[in-house]
Amino acid sequence: MKIVKMKRENLSSFLEAISREAELWAPVKKGVDTHAFQVVKDFSEIDLNYTRTILPPRKILVPSRFNMFQATKTEYTPDFSHVSNKIIFGIHPCDISGLLTMDKFYSYAIEDPYYLESRKKAMILGHSCWPDEHCLCKSTNTHIVEEGYDLFFTDLKDFYLVWIGSTQGDDLIRLVPDLFEGEIADQDIQRFMQWREDRDKAYSSEINFVAMADLMELRYNDPVWAKLGEACLACGSCTNVCPTCNCYNVEDRPVLGAEHSNISRCWDACTLENYSGVAGGENFREKRADRLKLWYTHKLQAYISKYGKPACVGCGRCIATCPVDINIKTVSDSLDGANPDAFWNRLSQEVTK
Amino acid sequence: MSDNNKLKIGIYELTGCAGDALLILDCEMELLDIFNAVDIQSFLMAKSDNIDGDLDVALVEGSVSTEREIEELKDIRKRSSIVVAFGLCATVGGIQARFSEEEWTQNLKEVYGDTEMTHTKAVHSKPIDAYINVDFYLPGCPVGKDQFLNFFTRVVQGAPPESYPVPVCVTCKYNENDCLLNKGIPCLGPLTADGCGSVCPNHDVPCYGCWGPAEGANLTSEYHLLQEKGFDIEAIKKRMSNYSGSKFQEFFEQFKNKESK
Ligand code: SF4
Ligand code: SF4
Ligand code: SF4
Ligand code: SF4
Repeated sequence: MKIVKMKRENLSSFLEAISREAELWAPVKKGVDTHAFQVVKDFSEIDLNYTRTILPPRKILVPSRFNMFQATKTEYTPDFSHVSNKIIFGIHPCDISGLLTMDKFYSYAIEDPYYLESRKKAMILGHSCWPDEHCLCKSTNTHIVEEGYDLFFTDLKDFYLVWIGSTQGDDLIRLVPDLFEGEIADQDIQRFMQWREDRDKAYSSEINFVAMADLMELRYNDPVWAKLGEACLACGSCTNVCPTCNCYNVEDRPVLGAEHSNISRCWDACTLENYSGVAGGENFREKRADRLKLWYTHKLQAYISKYGKPACVGCGRCIATCPVDINIKTVSDSLDGANPDAFWNRLSQEVTK
Repeated sequence: MSDNNKLKIGIYELTGCAGDALLILDCEMELLDIFNAVDIQSFLMAKSDNIDGDLDVALVEGSVSTEREIEELKDIRKRSSIVVAFGLCATVGGIQARFSEEEWTQNLKEVYGDTEMTHTKAVHSKPIDAYINVDFYLPGCPVGKDQFLNFFTRVVQGAPPESYPVPVCVTCKYNENDCLLNKGIPCLGPLTADGCGSVCPNHDVPCYGCWGPAEGANLTSEYHLLQEKGFDIEAIKKRMSNYSGSKFQEFFEQFKNKESK
């Protein structure tokens, strides 16, 4: 893998050049202190000083709702209008790992063309980051990525070191070769090594992921699940913000005054009340506790046996999102025997009072 | 079906603001298609030659608040193959149904005193399913255009109406809003049926529940969460029961029992 250097002040010229090639997506400020990936035309909107966006970049590849087909009574026409050439700039290692997890999932038994076509046309330009109190990617070993990107920018203040991960990435650099330097001085290398060491030390949160798959099994009937169920608001937020969640629902949406229906695909979340509902009005997981158990066993156990890795990439979104403290950290800690000061512990005291 | 093979539809308004009926007329781009697709037999807001005969589908807006409305509603049920509770008031009773029987009696006395009602007698406001079987519910204050058009088009095409009820938080997350609950703002998104596009949180205003209760809403947890955030019982009760009609009353009854114990 080749590594080149780029002066910080060259960034906007580089973005300018590549944005002529494809639609450019990057993190921008949304709300007071939150961020979202958006299409950018004005590069001054880009804010690289972010930790996590509210939704992971999978929303760029498979939007929360899009049409899969137009169908009449006798035929159907596939609709791939959500697929286009895109460049996603500013993705952090956890989210790149999230996409790698999705790649496996969406091509494992049956290939999902709606994801894969979109993925093929998207270039991934990663960017380094600094952990906050919710980041767990060191525990999940996704704090550094060696694959899954076309370019990766490591921010070393007045310059970037840029990893070239694919020929397409190399082609982007060749659009404006003058912006890059092939020679990397010894002091630059030292700066990079120091940065790596400091960053590794900056993690304040960790989980015992290695033990989780076994603990899931051993604590399958632990009373903590019922407590989680009492607290869970069934809002679906943890699921919707997780970069490795991929469930969807398909609905027929007939068009008034036309002969066809749109067959529309929409994100679904296993933490929602109606997720396990089937024809006839049955619901296999009416209890919130059962739905949470499904979410966590799927992520921390089932994924390992199928794909060799847990489906948590440590992004911390569930931690930042859940209004009642149910997240990968508190749940793992509880299964590991700890008694975290979480809402569900305070709630059960309240309820039985 | 009418002679020209179109579904016969009736749109009725009981006690409510008529916002749901108005919503149909507000579908300006689709209005011609709507009126072309079906045979509208009765729609007081839109036309004068209304016929009250047999119907394929009746959309009923508003809650039941008078004795006459009870009769009217039962008659609609008899004449219609499908009855739809159309909007918040019909589905859960609306703002006027937020009181317990006891509170309602008190309110009536305060407002009307001993005045004899001659026209029709007022009754404790209730959603329409308190009196008749309802085939389909379209919540909202008023119902969302998308929701209505989706439902309407399916019915017109002879497909059973389909809904996948989720709470407001789902769309709120699609819209990438920073959660207000986490900032200590009393948002009712988790308790509220989605359909509005999370318009309030999109503008940093907490959801106050106008779409009515979400299926499977966890009242206990939200209640205690809001208490932890520093809101008192009365404030929470007021907020949570504003738009939940008769549906959350039972939940708040338990506190009364506790207090009186
Ligand atoms: S489980 Fe939580 S921390 Fe892990 S990837 Fe999903 S949202 Fe991120
Ligand atoms: S665990 Fe938290 S974020 Fe997830 S559905 Fe329950 S309340 Fe919502
Ligand atoms: S702001 Fe309100 S609607 Fe949005 S996720 Fe939070 S609780 Fe749900
Ligand atoms: S109050 Fe809640 S349900 Fe009503 S429009 Fe606002 S966000 Fe939507």
